[in-house]
Amino acid sequence: MTIAVLLKQVPDTTAKITVSNGRVDENAVSKWSFSPYDEYALEAALQLKESMGGELVAITAGPARCEKLLRDAAAVGADNLVHISAENINDFDSTQMQKLLAAAVEKSGSSVVFCGKQAADTNSGSTGPGVAELIGASCITMVSEVISDSGGYLATRPSSSGHEKVAVSAPCVFAFDKGVVEMRRPNVRGIMMAKKKPIETWSIEELGLDLGTSGISIDSHSPPAEKPPGQKFEGADSVSTVVGKLRDEANVI
Amino acid sequence: MPYEALDFYDVDSLLTEEERMVRDMVRDFVDQDVIPNIEHACREGVFPDEWRVTLGEMGVLGAPLEGYGCPGLSYTAYGVICRELERGDSGLRSFASVQGSLAMYPIWDFGSEEQKQNYLPKMASGEWIGCFGLTEPDYGSNPGDMITKAEDMGDHYLLNGAKMWITNGTIAQLAVVWAKLDGVIRGFIVEKDDPGFSAPEMKGKHSLKASVTSELVFQDCKIPKDRILPGVKGLRGPFSCLNNARYGISWGAVGAAQACFDSAKEYSLSRIQFTHPIASYQLVQNKLAWMLREITKAQLLAYHLGQKKDAGTWIPEHISLAKMNNVDIALEIAREARDIHGANGILDEYCIMRHMANLESVKTYEGTHDIHNLIIGRHITGIQSFTREL
Amino acid sequence: MQCTVIAETVGDSLHPITSQLIGAASSLGASPIVVVPGGIGSEEAASIDGVSKVVSVVGDCFSTFDGGAWATALSPQCNGVIITGATSNGREVAARIAAKRGVPIIQDVTGLSDGITITRPIYSGKAVETTTVSGDCVITLRANAFDSAGSGGSAAVNVVDQSVDVSIAVKEAINKATERLDVSEADIIISGGRGIGQKENFSHLEEVADIIGAAVGASRAVVDEWGMPHSMQVGQTGKTVTPSLYIAVGISGAIQHLAGMRSSKYIVAINKDPEAPIFGVADYGIVATWEDAVPALKAALSSL
Repeated sequence: MTIAVLLKQVPDTTAKITVSNGRVDENAVSKWSFSPYDEYALEAALQLKESMGGELVAITAGPARCEKLLRDAAAVGADNLVHISAENINDFDSTQMQKLLAAAVEKSGSSVVFCGKQAADTNSGSTGPGVAELIGASCITMVSEVISDSGGYLATRPSSSGHEKVAVSAPCVFAFDKGVVEMRRPNVRGIMMAKKKPIETWSIEELGLDLGTSGISIDSHSPPAEKPPGQKFEGADSVSTVVGKLRDEANVI
Repeated sequence: MPYEALDFYDVDSLLTEEERMVRDMVRDFVDQDVIPNIEHACREGVFPDEWRVTLGEMGVLGAPLEGYGCPGLSYTAYGVICRELERGDSGLRSFASVQGSLAMYPIWDFGSEEQKQNYLPKMASGEWIGCFGLTEPDYGSNPGDMITKAEDMGDHYLLNGAKMWITNGTIAQLAVVWAKLDGVIRGFIVEKDDPGFSAPEMKGKHSLKASVTSELVFQDCKIPKDRILPGVKGLRGPFSCLNNARYGISWGAVGAAQACFDSAKEYSLSRIQFTHPIASYQLVQNKLAWMLREITKAQLLAYHLGQKKDAGTWIPEHISLAKMNNVDIALEIAREARDIHGANGILDEYCIMRHMANLESVKTYEGTHDIHNLIIGRHITGIQSFTREL
Repeated sequence: MQCTVIAETVGDSLHPITSQLIGAASSLGASPIVVVPGGIGSEEAASIDGVSKVVSVVGDCFSTFDGGAWATALSPQCNGVIITGATSNGREVAARIAAKRGVPIIQDVTGLSDGITITRPIYSGKAVETTTVSGDCVITLRANAFDSAGSGGSAAVNVVDQSVDVSIAVKEAINKATERLDVSEADIIISGGRGIGQKENFSHLEEVADIIGAAVGASRAVVDEWGMPHSMQVGQTGKTVTPSLYIAVGISGAIQHLAGMRSSKYIVAINKDPEAPIFGVADYGIVATWEDAVPALKAALSSL
């Protein structure tokens, strides 16, 4: 059995994001990392593989810098590495990315797909369900744990009363929220093996795709609106005012 | 704020991808496991055993050694490991230096095939801890006059004497002990339970508090004949170990300096006096600029020395220069950083005072600052000035 | 412009976000069709201003959440610009429908204007993206970012029975874990300091935390002096946290504490001393005793 893990390289969540000429400036990013939810997905996929055997293929789509991500995945146990590469890959919209990833999942022969619930850059959450739709798979999102169970899988996801375990069978996609286990740290042995592992590069042509044109055009990126200067209120009567501002201005509750 | 390693000249871009992955692995360990727990470990005066386990799991012990379960990384990678560990604490780096360079290395280089197979795999995994007995209460910079002696009793050796300032001594399963056999310095492997051997811990240190420092005492200590290291005689044995450990220290000190710089920078940007962050004042900027300058030079020194180690084009004097310089500037940077932190700099809320106190030891151990100067002086002039007997 | 809103439900009624979705659709000049999954709250939907028609989609598949099955059941009733809430279920159904129909999708939108021009936060709010989408598309809207539509409408309700296979089966319900979030992973933190008087008073902060799903933190002073767990400590030697909202109660704001929380997105400070340094980093400062302010906070949050 082959398990695919979809991984995205994003600016580290602690890194500063700067905008220049109307676009987020990638050259100014001090550190690139796994998108955090992808790390949980990778760890859960490794554990599933260890419990039932099979191979784990790590798939990423993006510019050349993403190969580092695949090496890091190999260092913790990914068996095969796939880099989907295209010249203008940063300009693809979500729909086009889903087509690329779905085609790569199919080419890899994977019947189970792990990914993060959303990427830390676009914050969208379309990839998991979108890829599931394109490959005709079931999808469970907000997953924290997956185990194999009587020929299928049991996934834990939130419910209105807490959590629930849901059964699903392949083909299926698990889109991870924060999982129960942090991604393992690699070791020197893993790192040295990762160095030798080949990275397969698949182009759009090799995947046999026509991505069409995007229906979305990005007009600009801009820095977030400056927060207003701190406001100070007198007395406990102001608490309800502040709570209202937290909801309507700050949008944090 | 998360740690952003100062690397002004982007020296780490010269590392191989593998070396950078090792760096990130160790850095993650230090961030996740070491820094949140180091102050507690120092207060308690213990070396947390979990760190031994994790160092073994990561596979960084005896990093540049090959075979027998050892990783076989480059010396540059070993340096990077030391730097990242010492960013956490010099005591942690000391643990790894002693295990890899002082205990595993002599067995790997001078041991018999049986000794290598017996000891190295379990030392690489962290299952066994090693220590290194050279310095004695009365013989530090002058180890050639050591008193500890071994006698050949036919079917065993008998050791008598005492060693002092031994990192890991009390927690070690084995000690590589240097003693005179018929007047010639030889290496012996002493195991924890050998009769006549004890390793009491030295208490009351104001430095390297999260590291175990011990005496090794041999009172008619009886060890089997197959525990002598067959491959070396004389001071060359311990000195080749020390070369590797000192090399690691030259990188390690950079890590401690980076930690102090990082803290001083953050603090100066957030500490407001006279209505402005103190980072906006010229005297503070001058200090920060000086720190950056010295760290950058130290990084280049360490990296280039690493390349020479890997290429085999080094001489011991190269290592002396880097150890001496990098520890020296790290200690000065810690002191300047303490100054920038004001009174807060003495609290264990900040890493500064701990690094400063640690570096006082690091300046002295593995060849004191002055001895390294004399080694370089001898190299320049051809005249040794250690003793008066010219 | 043709527009469809997929209603969001909670329990056996509409989720309040539904009228915000309808309000947003109206602001684009559309009279949306509202598609109601499982038919829950259809009558309520019909009474919201600006709705042209309600399609109540009923069927067995709505008893379990399976985004794929829901999308299959709902998609045939949708047309034009499709709008859902950017909730976890809403995002999943939206992504499925967009992929099924081969149309663009834009998630977690906070601003809409004619064109359609869309703004949304990216990089967790560290930047804002403005995009233009033409033709049919799927858009999910962030809760509380749009004004709700009023009530008073009387749209017709059509009921459609749609039977779709569900591929997911709930095997076991696990009741809400009672353990509290750790400060290092919580999106909202409420922390107490020496100003709240004694250890026992943390129970009041815990009550607030329960209402909004927050973690409870503490300053070093109270961790050391009152023996609170070290895991709660925020600051230089404790955890460095970056939640969306940090509420500091009775914390003066020593530089070591600020080092651990100043990168929080929004900071609320409650302190009786108007000169406390914590007000220097607060977005919203409330000069009041905790005894007065914390009950008021509890009441205000409960009524949200």
